[in-house]
Amino acid sequence: MSAVAAGFRPRALGDYSARLLAFLRRDLRDALTYKFSFLYSIIGIFFSSATFFFISRLVNPAVPALGPYGGDYFSFAVVGLAFSSLLGLFQEGLPSVIRNAQMSGTLEALLVTQTSVPTILLGSSLYSLAFQILRTIFYLILAAAVFGMKFGRVYWPGAVSVFVLTALCFLSLGILSASFILVYKMGNPLGWIFSSMSGLLGGVIFPIAILPSWLRWASYMLPVTYSLDGMRKSLLVSGGAAQVLPDIAALAAFNVVLLPLSLVLFRAAVRKAKRDGTLTHY
Amino acid sequence: MTSAPAILVTGLVKRYPVFGRFRDVLLHPLRRESKTALAGVDLRVERGRCFCLLGPNGAGKTTLIKILTTLVLPDEGKAFVGGCDVEQDPVWVRRRIGFAINEERSFYWRLTGRQNLEFFGALNGLRGRRLEAKIAEVVRLTNLEEAAGQRFNTYSTGMRQMLAFARALMTDADILFVDEPTRSLDPQAAARVRAFLKTGLVAGGGKTVFWATHNLAEAAEVAHEIAIIDRGRIRVEGSVAALTEEGGKSLQAVYDGAVSAGDTSGEGHPEEGLP
Repeated sequence: MSAVAAGFRPRALGDYSARLLAFLRRDLRDALTYKFSFLYSIIGIFFSSATFFFISRLVNPAVPALGPYGGDYFSFAVVGLAFSSLLGLFQEGLPSVIRNAQMSGTLEALLVTQTSVPTILLGSSLYSLAFQILRTIFYLILAAAVFGMKFGRVYWPGAVSVFVLTALCFLSLGILSASFILVYKMGNPLGWIFSSMSGLLGGVIFPIAILPSWLRWASYMLPVTYSLDGMRKSLLVSGGAAQVLPDIAALAAFNVVLLPLSLVLFRAAVRKAKRDGTLTHY
Repeated sequence: MTSAPAILVTGLVKRYPVFGRFRDVLLHPLRRESKTALAGVDLRVERGRCFCLLGPNGAGKTTLIKILTTLVLPDEGKAFVGGCDVEQDPVWVRRRIGFAINEERSFYWRLTGRQNLEFFGALNGLRGRRLEAKIAEVVRLTNLEEAAGQRFNTYSTGMRQMLAFARALMTDADILFVDEPTRSLDPQAAARVRAFLKTGLVAGGGKTVFWATHNLAEAAEVAHEIAIIDRGRIRVEGSVAALTEEGGKSLQAVYDGAVSAGDTSGEGHPEEGLP
């Protein structure tokens, strides 16, 4: 047995972390060769915040639908935009990792390494996820410092629980989309359905309370509705556990279904692509 | 485990689905058509040998390598690499092999050669001093010491091929797969690659090299044994000396005979036109 095989401990956490860090280092090194991309991103956040700040001046704070979120439209919109971008990346990151690796030609080289396909997927999306989380934090800080966004007494256990459950839920959707890309290469109907419906029905830039009741029922079918509701109630008002528990319960229910389903389907998709000989095709 | 051959293949069959036109899919949704890429391949490669798989384009060489490197699953038959079943134990197989993918797009162009090796080494379970030592070793072996710190996009074609070998050797693997490694190299660079594989790795390092090519002169120069595959079947197998002495023929004549025997069978080239 070779030295590598003898020293290899697939379950060791340190070994797993080292592999994920290798992806992070690779993408950071690559990103540093593009000197202006980070700057463009920051400027984009500033303009987006400013746009919603001025829109918020048109919105009457006494609108009843904003009441459960503290009544300030600007704060409502910033949380919606900041977190919906993050959720979008959780969902879109994995399929785009596969698509990019197929297109760039690196997928085959990755798949003959001693790293499992799920680790390759997670590792490859780690940098963009970390970058987007930092971007979200920066978005909130900028909105508070420059445009006077109003935070309530933040309920951290609620915010963290909602964030973790949301991340798992959207990663599951991402795995489902990645399975689709592995088999069908192009098109991602799941991603398209969720991204296009979330904007209208998820309460990103307006409260779902203003939707007609028949349309509001559709919004209750989307995890993003509970994610944004729970996050806003944790960050913008000081209602404590009672206010966010329904959102946490709903997100947990989504996870119970989506997480095992996505893992089973992904495994089947890898096997089908290997059987068809199209794993690295695009 | 050590007594097992490096590669053992029995009755290997691979059929690829053929995706029909949209109209056909609508009219016959349940009809499944396929093209046979491997039609019952048997093969045995002993350890420490340089084995060349020869064949025309579309003969089944790449499909066989992809099955042996766990990228494609077979439909029938068995394949063992380093004593491990490619279908049942793909992770163990990947610990025993290196695959020198000669596709330059399989590297990260904006990273240096060393950074590419660091990344792929980490994915093969190396880190810290072992990773550093391994990089130093493979960079020295492939004569890339000076170029290792340069970005990959500045490399010549020959340097890119050598970096592909360096990456394949990062696994400490006993068995190395190479698919037409000299295809786009100039004669001098191709000669260096042949010498590196035969003298450096097989004779000097005791490794097994499984080399797919359609270059007969190359195979005659480097191979201990060859097999000629055509239309998904192994037509001829043995050492170059035995095959040529047996009938007093040149390797070209042996090859022509093997491939033309396939021509009379009425089979089409299986891999041509596949998705």
